[in-house]
Amino acid sequence: MLSTLASAADPTPMAAPKPLIEVQDLKVHFFTRDGVVRAVDGVDYGVNPGETLGIVGESGSGKTVSSLAMLRLVPPPARTVGGRILFEGEDLLTRTPKQMAALRGRRIAMIFQNPATSLNPIYSIGAQLSEILVWHEKASRRQAEERVAELLNLVGITDPLTRLRQFPHELSGGMKQRVGIARALLCNPALVLADEPTTALDVTIQAQILELLADLQARFHMSMVLVTHDMGVVARMANRITVMYAGRVCETADAATIFSAPQHPYTRALLESMPRIDQSYSRGARQKLPTIAGRPPNLLNPPAGCRFHDRCPEAIADCRRILPVETAIAPGHTVSCIRRGSPGIAA
Amino acid sequence: MDTPIVPEAVAEASIAVPLRPPGLWRQGWYRFRRNRGGMLGLGLVALVVLVALLCPFVAPFAPNDQSAMLRGAARKAPDWVHLLGTDRNGYDVLTRVLYGASTALAVGLGAMAVASVIGVIIGGIAGYAGGLTDELLMRFAEFFMVIPVFVVILAVVRLFGIVVVGTWLESIPNLNLMTIIVLLGCFEWPPIARMARAEFLRLKHAEFVEAAICIGTKKRDILLRHILPNALPSLIVLVALGIGGAILAETMVSFLGFGDPKAVSWGQQLHFNYEALKVAPWAVLSPGAAIFVTVLGFNLLADGLTDAFNPRLRR
Amino acid sequence: MSALLEVDSLSKRYPVTRRGLFRARQYSEIRAVHNVSFRIEAGETLGLVGESGCGKTTTARAILNLVEPSEGVVRFQGRDIVPLFKENDRTKVLQVRRSLQYVFQDPWLSLNPRWTIGETLKEPLRVHRPEAPETWGARVEELLRMVGLEPHHAWRYPHEFSGGQRQRVGIARALAIEPRLLILDEPVSSLDVSVRAQILNLLVELQDRLGLTYLYISHDLSSVRFISTHVAVMYLGKLVEIGQVDALFTRPRHHYTRALLSAIPMPQPGAANTRIVLQGEVPSALRRPSGCPFHPRCAAALPVCAEREPLLTAAAGDDHRMACHNPT
Repeated sequence: MLSTLASAADPTPMAAPKPLIEVQDLKVHFFTRDGVVRAVDGVDYGVNPGETLGIVGESGSGKTVSSLAMLRLVPPPARTVGGRILFEGEDLLTRTPKQMAALRGRRIAMIFQNPATSLNPIYSIGAQLSEILVWHEKASRRQAEERVAELLNLVGITDPLTRLRQFPHELSGGMKQRVGIARALLCNPALVLADEPTTALDVTIQAQILELLADLQARFHMSMVLVTHDMGVVARMANRITVMYAGRVCETADAATIFSAPQHPYTRALLESMPRIDQSYSRGARQKLPTIAGRPPNLLNPPAGCRFHDRCPEAIADCRRILPVETAIAPGHTVSCIRRGSPGIAA
Repeated sequence: MDTPIVPEAVAEASIAVPLRPPGLWRQGWYRFRRNRGGMLGLGLVALVVLVALLCPFVAPFAPNDQSAMLRGAARKAPDWVHLLGTDRNGYDVLTRVLYGASTALAVGLGAMAVASVIGVIIGGIAGYAGGLTDELLMRFAEFFMVIPVFVVILAVVRLFGIVVVGTWLESIPNLNLMTIIVLLGCFEWPPIARMARAEFLRLKHAEFVEAAICIGTKKRDILLRHILPNALPSLIVLVALGIGGAILAETMVSFLGFGDPKAVSWGQQLHFNYEALKVAPWAVLSPGAAIFVTVLGFNLLADGLTDAFNPRLRR
Repeated sequence: MSALLEVDSLSKRYPVTRRGLFRARQYSEIRAVHNVSFRIEAGETLGLVGESGCGKTTTARAILNLVEPSEGVVRFQGRDIVPLFKENDRTKVLQVRRSLQYVFQDPWLSLNPRWTIGETLKEPLRVHRPEAPETWGARVEELLRMVGLEPHHAWRYPHEFSGGQRQRVGIARALAIEPRLLILDEPVSSLDVSVRAQILNLLVELQDRLGLTYLYISHDLSSVRFISTHVAVMYLGKLVEIGQVDALFTRPRHHYTRALLSAIPMPQPGAANTRIVLQGEVPSALRRPSGCPFHPRCAAALPVCAEREPLLTAAAGDDHRMACHNPT
């Protein structure tokens, strides 16, 4: 059944396809002893069938927490306190834990950041992967192992039958991440969530894994959510990009637009502040990198109005008081900044 | 767009300026305070300490007062004169239980003080020096771990009791008890040494220690000012746990009849009265309860300290 | 003018042992750093790059004698400092330490959590200026301002600071005794993007103001391009290419350098057309390939590559050197 799937669809924003998964006004708060941390505070985004949505942001922006919320896996003391997550038209937040368990790994799968810890060290690769198939698809051990071997081959692992008997510690980091990818693809999921899938890897291995992911996604027409802090990785992989800051979405647009014509001041500043390997830096009058002043806010006590206003070069008095609401400024391009015409909610 | 570098600091400064924020010990205390078990343990330990300090003032009788026996009032059930009754030797049970607290604390603290000094020195040297030194010291520690402590203590106490007769050593008060304390200390140190070794080994390669090496800080300062203070929290937990263990060990030694006859100890009370459990249960149950409360207190305290100092381990 | 730092045939080998009944037996060795030579002139910044396990950090640690070099010469200010550390003559060691300082990778681990920032910054002064304790306070204040912090931060503990602020403290500690050469070991790789730029700017500014020389170690090539004047690329403990930054980035000669540069995803959609994806993974240092260590993954490998180890030779001009039998 692997080979029957159509080749890569070219997701065109014109047709405005119905999103496979849609996150609406999602709120995930951490209830700590010191108070409520609004890690995700009213976030909207959607993923169309066959496309890759890149979610970028710095640590604490809520990118990982919001993706975990899609699987209803936010760790305590965090709780999803509001919003809807529509997957194939149904709200995941109203599903029972049993229904969610049947969905996880089968319809929505996850690729983890750290391949070293995401595999169980005491089971062989074959045992832990085929178990998923036995559980989700009621496959027999034998069928399951055959399919696992087929997938290991597909993710570029040579001699899969030997690898089945091996244990995680016998594999290198890049190899483990390939196994992690094979595990995510076992049940032909409609959606794959990849949380910093290459951050723990070296650049040359990262290049291999990214190539593999892009290739598999195109072949199986999967949707993917790629969470990362690396602008280079999203540029390589994503069709559309959502930029998050301090628990809110700043801007969503197709990848080319985010890089060529970013609208939100944070997106612009983020892109400008990165040194580039293809640029020569003068050494006479030493060139400085443009920086974003200050640092991300404490979400126990986020700034009123726009979360970015105290670091924003374009902030006006209203930014301090009005929380901007995402709005479309062009087809497929939404921005939440009152300087770009977004409506807002007065504090 | 040449933004100056300072604003990060300014933003930080504007939040809270001169307030001296809590140090790590105080933060540990904040966490400890929120731990119910730990606070209960601290309360129990405080109660025991208080009793030990105040027993001469609150105890109704003298600890060696056996006058009840002369009155034929031994093994008397609790009444208003003897709140917890008397035992078969005519001692007031309450008085002996109260005085027993100071003995228990002396044993617990004394033994663990001896054990800590030996353990930190041996473990610290092993962890920091590494190599053959480490190997030898740790085999030495293991040797102490496999020796049956009780046999040694019983033998030494008995032999020592014979050897000192007629010498000046005999004039030292509570010599027997001190022997037990030192012996317990000498056998309780290996776990502390192991922990100290692990901590020193870990901290030896900590980046802030390497930073100190790069600066040129003297070895002594690195050990005493960098490594030891950072190793203390884990060691304190172990010491708190060890105090309870030492108290229990002394109780057992005394229960077997090898305790210090001149000291007032809960174990000895059990030793003298366990045969009369059915006739005069109060004489056994009271010291038993005191042992239970004290050891429980130290264990809960250790538990609370673990949480307070290693918050990451929770959940 | 002679170089400020000159590293000549530096090697660090670790014995691989198997524990016997009585003692450990050596049966092999790992060459963490193998015959590395480079020089840094005063005022320059040499970026030392490579993937994890390539020996870049070990090289730095060997220069500082945090690990003892197995072989080689480390000439600092014209004097070989390796024997100096071996003799363990405290006054001479302190002389070297004073001018040669290290900034650590992880600002969460490199500050003693039980000391205030002020105590941490006073430590180098206590060691190197014991005669004038009355000047320490003013110096700490000066240092804090120099790295963009405030004097009252001296009373704070590390855990109250963000990663960027801690890294500023780490830099301030290294600068306390006015060193000439700073070894920066991945100083920004654990920081968030927006804070990274602030720290890189600070480093550049301090270099200009204080006339510092840097050895900048990183796997992040874009920050290396920004901060360095020269770049050295390491693979499996060996220096494979070294040259001026623009020359090396625009015209890399070694195949590994080329692959490394093209593996970096550019923040520019559709820029992936000239990508070289290396096959396979970095071999374990235990099973180091014969000849050129890169030959099993190299697309342009010749038979000779498996036999003879290429030496570092001039590629273009005297400044650009690489170790390859079949350069591009």
